[in-house]
Amino acid sequence: MNAADPTVLRALAAVTAERAEDAVLSVRDLTVRFRLRGGRSVAAVSDAAFDLGAGECLALVGESGCGKSVLASALLGLLPGNAETSGTALLEGEAGAGPTDLLAADEKTLARTVRGRRVGLVPQSPAGHLTPVRTVRSQLEETVRALTGTPRRARRKAAEDAAERAAFPAGHLDRYPHELSGGLAQRAATALALIGDARLLLADEPTTGLDRELVDRTVDELRRHVDEGRGLLLITHDLAAAARIADRVAVMYAGRIVETAPAHRFFGPAGPRHPYARGLLDALPDRAFTPIPGMPPELSALPEGCAFAPRCPLATDLCATRPEPHAGVACHHPEHPRA
Amino acid sequence: MADRRTHRLRLWTSAVTVGVILLAVLLVPPLVQLDEQAVDLSRKLLPPSWDHPFGTDDLGRDLLLRCVYGLRISLLVGLVAALVATVVGTAVGAAAGALGGWTDRCLMRLVDAFSSVPHLLLGIFVVALFRPGVWPVIASVAVTHWLSTARIVRSEVLSLRTRPFVDAAVSGGASRWRVTVRHLLPAVLPQAGLAAVLMIPHAMWHESALSFLGLGLPSHQASLGNLVQNARSSLLAGDWWPTLFPGLLLIVPTLAIAGLAGVWRDRLNPRRRSELML
Amino acid sequence: MLELDTVTAGYERRAPVFRGASLTVAPGESVGLLGPSGCGKSTLARVAALLHRPDAGRLVLDGTEVRAWRHRAPRELRTAVGVVFQQPRTAADPRLTLAEIIAEPLRATGRRAEADSRVAELAPAVGLTADLLTRRPHEVSDGQLQRACLARALTLSPRWLICDEMTAMLDASTTAALVAAVETYRAETGAGLLAVGHDRVLLNRWCDRTVEWKDCLPPKETR
Repeated sequence: MNAADPTVLRALAAVTAERAEDAVLSVRDLTVRFRLRGGRSVAAVSDAAFDLGAGECLALVGESGCGKSVLASALLGLLPGNAETSGTALLEGEAGAGPTDLLAADEKTLARTVRGRRVGLVPQSPAGHLTPVRTVRSQLEETVRALTGTPRRARRKAAEDAAERAAFPAGHLDRYPHELSGGLAQRAATALALIGDARLLLADEPTTGLDRELVDRTVDELRRHVDEGRGLLLITHDLAAAARIADRVAVMYAGRIVETAPAHRFFGPAGPRHPYARGLLDALPDRAFTPIPGMPPELSALPEGCAFAPRCPLATDLCATRPEPHAGVACHHPEHPRA
Repeated sequence: MADRRTHRLRLWTSAVTVGVILLAVLLVPPLVQLDEQAVDLSRKLLPPSWDHPFGTDDLGRDLLLRCVYGLRISLLVGLVAALVATVVGTAVGAAAGALGGWTDRCLMRLVDAFSSVPHLLLGIFVVALFRPGVWPVIASVAVTHWLSTARIVRSEVLSLRTRPFVDAAVSGGASRWRVTVRHLLPAVLPQAGLAAVLMIPHAMWHESALSFLGLGLPSHQASLGNLVQNARSSLLAGDWWPTLFPGLLLIVPTLAIAGLAGVWRDRLNPRRRSELML
Repeated sequence: MLELDTVTAGYERRAPVFRGASLTVAPGESVGLLGPSGCGKSTLARVAALLHRPDAGRLVLDGTEVRAWRHRAPRELRTAVGVVFQQPRTAADPRLTLAEIIAEPLRATGRRAEADSRVAELAPAVGLTADLLTRRPHEVSDGQLQRACLARALTLSPRWLICDEMTAMLDASTTAALVAAVETYRAETGAGLLAVGHDRVLLNRWCDRTVEWKDCLPPKETR
């Protein structure tokens, strides 16, 4: 099969269009620039595009500082004042209502109808996300009151239900965050994220600093919520965690999504097609364990052409121009699937 | 952004006010060859006019001139006292925090002992030991003001001491002295500096209180406290200006310095860095 | 030899984090210490680096028993062990440039003159470029900062290296690069390594042997 074949391309375009229609979240041309003093600017995210369907987990992987977290903050409208965003990020509307463009919505809309209600955030460090001086139960009840307006009598029950959905043991509800283990704190934070019954979950590095067993348990639980019909955008640098639960993988390098591929192909014998994605997988200790030479470029001084070219073994003169995404890969010399 | 505009307005108003005050106290006495002690009984207690913008006092001395001289003395006392108090406080706080153990316990009990005596009482005790003059007043202010700096510096040092970068320095062969001087002190100096700036108006008030009680500077010397003290009798007679202007000169620098310190504190906030989130 | 002999350590006398840990690393050997978080692996690493006084037990370093800890430990003993911590952000003085961070151990031990040449030697070894060396920690990424922290641990050419979850916050490629830098250094100098972590796959690949901290019970090796 030749990816450049026009019929194949048409078919691919049709698939993408269909995806965009019934997607929970559909992102196009998302670009974020930070203006710095002295007129410099940082290209944190450039032309990101992806769709996320219900019951699907998309893992966004890449090195620290490649713009993954900025993308998540942009979707929640949580960027600082010196950031400029463009593009669209359509969030599926509720019960027949039209979609909301997260990048164009004002702060009031985001605060009252989006965050917590239609997009749940599973935080990076649950310990820092929970209020240290209040019990898990009181935090859950407060969130229930704020998000659903449940009458006082029913709140207790609603909070317990939320805890149960996140597999947080009811016996620990009256504890304070510092009395919880790392895994339980993560579940408490997930329970908070699930209260609004959001169709889209955003998990920003939910496993950083956890040990392997805890990572596996945390992501398995996230997967369970996906199987209940939610969409999950999992932002992580942990490829093993992504391999465990993702349906599709998007690889980010220097602010651009350089490859989007089904997880079974990406992690399977065929492997990814972008040389950076291959290099990333080859760096895993259960594979070749060899690093990609060099370091990623500065986001404030990106080259004209392909940002990966200086580190790429396949680079040619052609790489001085920027490769457009083509069948899910933005590369002039995509590697063919390994046999 | 409205927030940023008020921020900038505050910075500029404070900076300009402090600038004018500094220029006045530095330049007026050497340039204007007038005697602030010149008595002219024929012109006593004149209300503000073009000749005497702040009016004259009960001995016919020009109040504007006396206010500038008074502010000069008060600022000098405030600055030197704040500097001494900060140096002493930082040294004690850093020693207590960095050495820990018995040294820490002894030094902090000393701080507690000083704090348990009312400040003004302690201040009065110190000035009572010496003849009236500028230096006893400075000593009195410094003795009562180093305590808070010592506490701030100690707590900062204690929290920094457990950071892994201190572990790394120790592992790299750094002595206790080097860790303190190279890694801990530079981290607390901005905080200590901020405390010093905020202390200047506080020290000025302390000096004024002492002078007002007749325990500070000799009463013929124009300091803000003496000016208010001398004006007390005329205030009862309905002459408001000898009290109002020295009082204002005590309040305006306080607000201006607090404004500048507020901007500085915002600058110290490490969260500025996270604007990039990379 | 780096010998930890029935070490009990913690932060409160009555409730030590672990009791009776014994572990030996031979010269040139690399040992991985595996275990879940919160069991005291990091505390053991700090004991081995002379940074934390144990409540009981002995640490013997190349035949010398360690009797004083932290600042009080003899400098030759302290600097014989290099440490890299989990979080580069908290392990680097935010006011220094990367070059100053790497040179700091030389300056602290009165060998200022060698600083420039040593930094120039170490920077490429850990994959840092010259323009990064003039920056401060908040201007570089976690991965770049951890490279500088590794270089700092190598500055005084320690005979022992202790890596406490060195790569837990890092992506796969940076992890592989840092491990490669450590292994290159060990191949050149014959230094021993104690790598603490929770990633079984990584430690199995990296180290000659791994020791387990099962069910929060510390390893008890006998020789």
